[in-house]
Amino acid sequence: MATTNATISISSDIMSYPVNISKQMTMKKLGSSAGLEETSGLRTKKFTATDAIVVIEEDEFTNTKASKVYMRNTGSSKSDFFYVAKHASAAASDTAAVTIGKLYGGDWMLIPYLADVNITVAPSTAEAMTLEYIVFVE
Amino acid sequence: MATTTATVSITSADLMPGMPLAINASSQLMQTGTTTGLELMDMGAGKLTEASAADALHEALGTADTANWVYICNTSTNDEQYIKVGIHDTIIGNLGAGEWLWMPWNMGTADNEINIEAETSGSVTYEYAIFKSTYTLPAKT
Repeated sequence: MATTNATISISSDIMSYPVNISKQMTMKKLGSSAGLEETSGLRTKKFTATDAIVVIEEDEFTNTKASKVYMRNTGSSKSDFFYVAKHASAAASDTAAVTIGKLYGGDWMLIPYLADVNITVAPSTAEAMTLEYIVFVE
Repeated sequence: MATTTATVSITSADLMPGMPLAINASSQLMQTGTTTGLELMDMGAGKLTEASAADALHEALGTADTANWVYICNTSTNDEQYIKVGIHDTIIGNLGAGEWLWMPWNMGTADNEINIEAETSGSVTYEYAIFKSTYTLPAKT
């Protein structure tokens, strides 16, 4: 059994008192103490157009389990971003119900993934942007 | 201007034999398309029971298509208890005991609430924090 740990630390001075969140998790199979044992491997993709593209195909992975997806916009621009969406084909846009959110330069996310629908991304600009991502698979 | 920083470290010595995994990233949370830090947040804790269907953890009452961030942790220690997390009708995934998520949330439509649902028996505890670019409080009833 493999052991994969992820630790998040969030610090903020939004409140009048310091906010500090720190949590470590071990990525486990659904309803189990067994660790995830497979991965897509770390992938990097460079985009030079605003077309939406499927970056994670659900049929590569087992549906209704407890996979995880990590993504990061490796750029530094705080005005250019990737839309991230769950959609059967390549679609991600501003007001689409299936759009999760936006990753600006340096932003990252780590979410559970049901592998029921593809994950697509759409750059906001045709300027070169790079996305790195990995799926931790049950 | 407030400063909020989110950092992650992902490590595994044995997921890929012979290739130890070490991913580290850090980002500062900014208001939509700017270099001004986010200034709005909610945080709290609660309990879910299997008897209830999906519940709205947070309504999408901010400006549509903005930069917002969601942290949710299933704080249960029972490995059989997990929480299903969604954005309106889109299921994101299952959070097992002790697991957390960190995701952007653009509030693409007013219906795009964050919802959570316990998928096993008993009470499932959770914690959350939501960082927002804009937000309007619900109207009084």
